[in-house]
Amino acid sequence: MEELQKFNRRNFIKAGGVAAASAALSLNAFDAIAAGDVIKLTILHTNDVHSRVEPFPMDGSKYQGLGGTARRSSLIKKIRAAERNVLLFDAGDIFQGTPYFNLYGGEVEMKLMTAMGYDASTMGNHDFDNGLEGFLKQLPHTNFPILSANYDFSNTVLHQSTQPYKIFNKGGLKIGVLGIGLELDGVVEGKNYTGTIYLDPIAKANEYADLLKNDLKCDLVICLSHLGYKYPTDKVSDQILAKNNRSIDLIIGGHTHTFMNEPEDVQNLSGNLTTINQVGFAGINLGRVDYYFERYKGKRIKTAAPYTISNELD
Amino acid sequence: MQLLRPFRNQLLLLLSLTLASCSLIKSGSGSSYQVIKSTRNEYSISNDIAPDSSIINTYLPYKGRLEAEMSKVIGHSALLLSKKSSDTLPESLLSNFFADAVTEQALKLDPNIDFAIPTTKGGLRVDFPKGDITTSHVFELMPFENELYVFTLKGEDVQRLLNFIAGTNGQPVSRLRMKIANKLPVDVWINGKPFDPNKSYSVLTTDYISGGGDHTVGFEKPISKTALGLKVRNALMNYVKETEAAGKIINSKTDGRITKI
Repeated sequence: MEELQKFNRRNFIKAGGVAAASAALSLNAFDAIAAGDVIKLTILHTNDVHSRVEPFPMDGSKYQGLGGTARRSSLIKKIRAAERNVLLFDAGDIFQGTPYFNLYGGEVEMKLMTAMGYDASTMGNHDFDNGLEGFLKQLPHTNFPILSANYDFSNTVLHQSTQPYKIFNKGGLKIGVLGIGLELDGVVEGKNYTGTIYLDPIAKANEYADLLKNDLKCDLVICLSHLGYKYPTDKVSDQILAKNNRSIDLIIGGHTHTFMNEPEDVQNLSGNLTTINQVGFAGINLGRVDYYFERYKGKRIKTAAPYTISNELD
Repeated sequence: MQLLRPFRNQLLLLLSLTLASCSLIKSGSGSSYQVIKSTRNEYSISNDIAPDSSIINTYLPYKGRLEAEMSKVIGHSALLLSKKSSDTLPESLLSNFFADAVTEQALKLDPNIDFAIPTTKGGLRVDFPKGDITTSHVFELMPFENELYVFTLKGEDVQRLLNFIAGTNGQPVSRLRMKIANKLPVDVWINGKPFDPNKSYSVLTTDYISGGGDHTVGFEKPISKTALGLKVRNALMNYVKETEAAGKIINSKTDGRITKI
């Protein structure tokens, strides 16, 4: 980690000129917030919490003492108190990993996510661990939607339980959010997803992201993905989705339990950025991505409009 | 903000896209907002954060019942099965107990299993105590969610697996006997018959081990594989409960299934 710090610091110095320019820009943005021209949106996210209701026990294991829903909730409340426009998402694998799931089947996890005010989640492979009926049984404990754009549940008990996307209105902004899941064959036992039709994640993600951005006029499009960050093979992943989509601004990923040093920014098919982020697993971390929007007046800006990215919150 | 991970604070980037002129703006699409900046970070959820008591109150009743459930005595063991001996010896009381108990349960679902490697030595996490056995003891012994699979392997792949077992000074196995000479398997018997490298075998293992966990080899190109729909932990749990229900006590012995010569 020390190596990484040094590396980044060196980059920082090398990019001094650029950094100075962007600092000036961020100052302008700050003034604009005061004047009401800039809207700030805060996205908070988790993935692969795996029934980790309480912190890891103090047993000498790698993550001892970390995580826990009660602390996560405090932090979320603190951020909500400080920020006007906050959305909270999970990228799946809510279930399985502690006896809370084995004994209560996911009831505790769903009640706690509801209490924390999650806005949406998608499904991970372990959310099928008690079958489709097992998942359905826990939905009365939720008040947030389960988003899935590429599992066709129409021939199953979940036919009315999920939706491909949801649009959130925050401070005048429209934020479109869709959910994408991984191929279940070979990962989930057959009887636990009988009747589910798996649809091409890239095609479905593009279909709904384009719909959200172009037809439904969303200002930001977020994909909750359980595909996994990346693989050594050409297996579909968040990296592959990022390169091969047109309209997704942010992929909140999961499945591979990846602790990313920083989010990855990928140029997508339309030449814009798709950012990928994932925050390990078990609720050890809470991810945060803030976007600052400026009201766009008149027609398309012809001049280069740099979009500043900083891995430090203002 | 001491909660923020410091190494993420070092980087300040200005990204100007090659097609930056239309960053997040769609001509004529009607959206009237444009992203001008994004900042991001990650919070570590540690004891620097005071817990939210309303959340604790939400899970406390469940925790109480869970702890009662976990401390329920579900069986009895005649002797301590120690992790340390399983780490150092080709076979141990703990490795034999684990492998035989899981195999006995799996055989009810697939009676054609020839032999089993349902865990590695690294997968044996803790001692299994003498006396009262609780649900919690089984969870501690097998904290992972591994699923049982039956792989049909060609003789040559079984040979590679046997080489792995011998090369790592033995692994927890059942229905398999071998001697280890110079880190290689000799005098191998599977389910009471001499190993025939020209035959195929049904091998009970887990998703973790078959995926190369702990550097296991041999499962990469199976003739077929079938999920049993049974977790390793549940197999152990069922074994303990059934032993108790039959009025018996858990026992284990080393029987020379893997010896060094």
